[in-house]
Amino acid sequence: MDPGYLLQQTINFLTIGAIYALIALGYTMVYGIIELINFAHGDVFMVGSFVTLTVLTTLGGTLGFDGAISNPLLLAVVLIVTFLVAMAVMGIVGVLIERFAYRPLRNAPRLAPLITAIGMSFILQNVVQVIWGPSPVIVPQIIDVHAAIRIGDASIRYLSLFIIALAVVLMIALQVFVRQTRLGRAMRSTAIDREAAMLMGVDINTTIALTFFIGSALAGAAGVVQGLYFGNTVFTIGFQAGLKAFTAAVLGGIGNTTGAALGGFLIGFIEVASTVVGFSRWSEAIVFSILVLVLVFRPTGILGQQLAERA
Amino acid sequence: MRVLRLGAVITTAALVFTACSSSPSASGGGGGNVQEVKIGVDLPLSGGETPNGGPTLNGVKLAVSKISVPGYHVTVEAEDDAVNGVHDPNQGAKNIQTLVNDSAVFAVVGPFNSSVAKAEIPVSNSAGLIQCSPANTNPSLTKPDQGAKDLRKTNPDKIAYVRVATTDDIQGAAGADIAYNVAGAKSSYVVDDTETYGKGLADVFVDQFQKLGGTLVGRDGAGKNVTDYTSLLTAAKAKNPGFVYFGGVTATGGGLLRKQMISNGMGSIPFGGGDGINDGSAATASSFLNLAGPDGDMNSYSTVAAIHDIPNPDQFKADYKAMFNVDPGAYSASAYACTQIFLEALGKVGPDREKVRAYVTDTTHKYNTALGTLSFDANGDTSQHIISYYKFDPSTKDWAFFKQKDFGSSGS
Repeated sequence: MDPGYLLQQTINFLTIGAIYALIALGYTMVYGIIELINFAHGDVFMVGSFVTLTVLTTLGGTLGFDGAISNPLLLAVVLIVTFLVAMAVMGIVGVLIERFAYRPLRNAPRLAPLITAIGMSFILQNVVQVIWGPSPVIVPQIIDVHAAIRIGDASIRYLSLFIIALAVVLMIALQVFVRQTRLGRAMRSTAIDREAAMLMGVDINTTIALTFFIGSALAGAAGVVQGLYFGNTVFTIGFQAGLKAFTAAVLGGIGNTTGAALGGFLIGFIEVASTVVGFSRWSEAIVFSILVLVLVFRPTGILGQQLAERA
Repeated sequence: MRVLRLGAVITTAALVFTACSSSPSASGGGGGNVQEVKIGVDLPLSGGETPNGGPTLNGVKLAVSKISVPGYHVTVEAEDDAVNGVHDPNQGAKNIQTLVNDSAVFAVVGPFNSSVAKAEIPVSNSAGLIQCSPANTNPSLTKPDQGAKDLRKTNPDKIAYVRVATTDDIQGAAGADIAYNVAGAKSSYVVDDTETYGKGLADVFVDQFQKLGGTLVGRDGAGKNVTDYTSLLTAAKAKNPGFVYFGGVTATGGGLLRKQMISNGMGSIPFGGGDGINDGSAATASSFLNLAGPDGDMNSYSTVAAIHDIPNPDQFKADYKAMFNVDPGAYSASAYACTQIFLEALGKVGPDREKVRAYVTDTTHKYNTALGTLSFDANGDTSQHIISYYKFDPSTKDWAFFKQKDFGSSGS
């Protein structure tokens, strides 16, 4: 097979994998700390893409752009504003969801918050339908989709490189935060043993809220990426993306942030690889077959550890 | 407490009053012996499907307002088969059951999508309620050699489904004709949405394109949940196709596919599809041209499985515009024609479902409709085998009709 073609497909899988990984991190962080499969998380990503739409159309209306921005300085400013707004808004939405839908049920049987999570997913979808309508909408693609570096036959788009780099930077920042800071230590200790952490003076409620904020902000960032890369969104995209990201989190070892990132890229790789070998009609079946195989032989996922000390 | 009781009295009084005042008007509303009857409609009317269902429903409404049948007051009962903005066969089956249960409904216009029709035909067939689709094109819905008998098992010889759109064995051939003869492509890459309509159309395209002498360089499928076509398109680009054909509709990915072709540097490769992507101008929300992003170099073709040069186009357009203040959609005149046929039957045999069904499906009847004179064959397929060809016009950012071709009896 032509090396230019393989390089192109490599970039494709890294780009889509980056989006899955960003969403998967939120699943895995929330599961790690309160053992809840947050089914509304895919829809947080979806709402993030609509917040992006609103930010970009508002900025576009005042600054006068409706597509690719050629001035690099303006592009940088608009990108930073869009990411900050989308991540902050979705972070707050995540905290509110936790405060009102999950915290009251924290000591309830495991099934109760699971159902509330599914309920939150539908609520978010309906709210978006009411505010932005049920039709697919176009998001202005402010990074020129045609701009690319040519390497042989392959044309590597700056847009793809930006998305991959952004995802990697956010993941490293998350690792540093969780491993090096006081709040990160509070998060890790809460995940290991909530009661013990509380006895050591960790504010459990704030720590869990912070986890939701960070996870949802990352999903918000993925929402911006959705707009930049596909230039399109619709209120139903959350379910499919959420399912893939959840799979990525389980594949990598749920509760493990490095595993979630790895799982995201792995799912992107499997999808693209199944297209390359000519089985794109089967890509979903292949993804889930591999998931089943991994779980049969390694029930905790690729990087998962035994969670023995849980009561 | 007192206030509350008073309120209750007033409410009760009001209810009694409304009940009294409404009952005489209901029986005397039409002024004597006018019977209330309904034409049922099942179309996708919400979300991304609005550009399909909306103008089609308007065609029915226009016909009902223009044509009066002495002795009957006809109203339109419309059901929406879109769920979350995309047509849904299960919803269609529920809707047709609702219409069957409404005894005032004597005939049904719809559905729009072939996958929905597959779920509806068994229901309307066993109930003996006639359906006329303005837009279904999948051959398996009517043709016994393609499995249509399985859909009408209850009454295999009493068909209750007719259509004024011609079939995909003709539409797919028209797509191949465009690719090979109009765009001059000698090779093509074909993608379908894995659904009844899309895959069927794509299969015919492939077959006909190869018959014309073209080469198929690749074939792929991606369901409606797919949003990322990048890797599929990278694979297609490596094969250097002269034409990309999409079997499917806008809501199952047509717009996204073309948009991503353009952003992946494949915009100069001509692109074609069937009536599923011919759903209005770039200004129409959720239409193919809107979602694909109307770049100047967007070299796209589409077809419509209906006659374009209708007998009185100006009159139809003017009437439609007077009522709805917009131009008609691709299937407005077809829906008008279905309604015309039903109203003719109502005038001749009355609203009895079996009589209407027998009248409409009589192969000897010739109908004068907005589409011209047509009749139905024993399977319920129209005698008109005409496909209209469209190309994207960058100046109007809309589909521009450039040719219609009569495929005669070649398809059947």
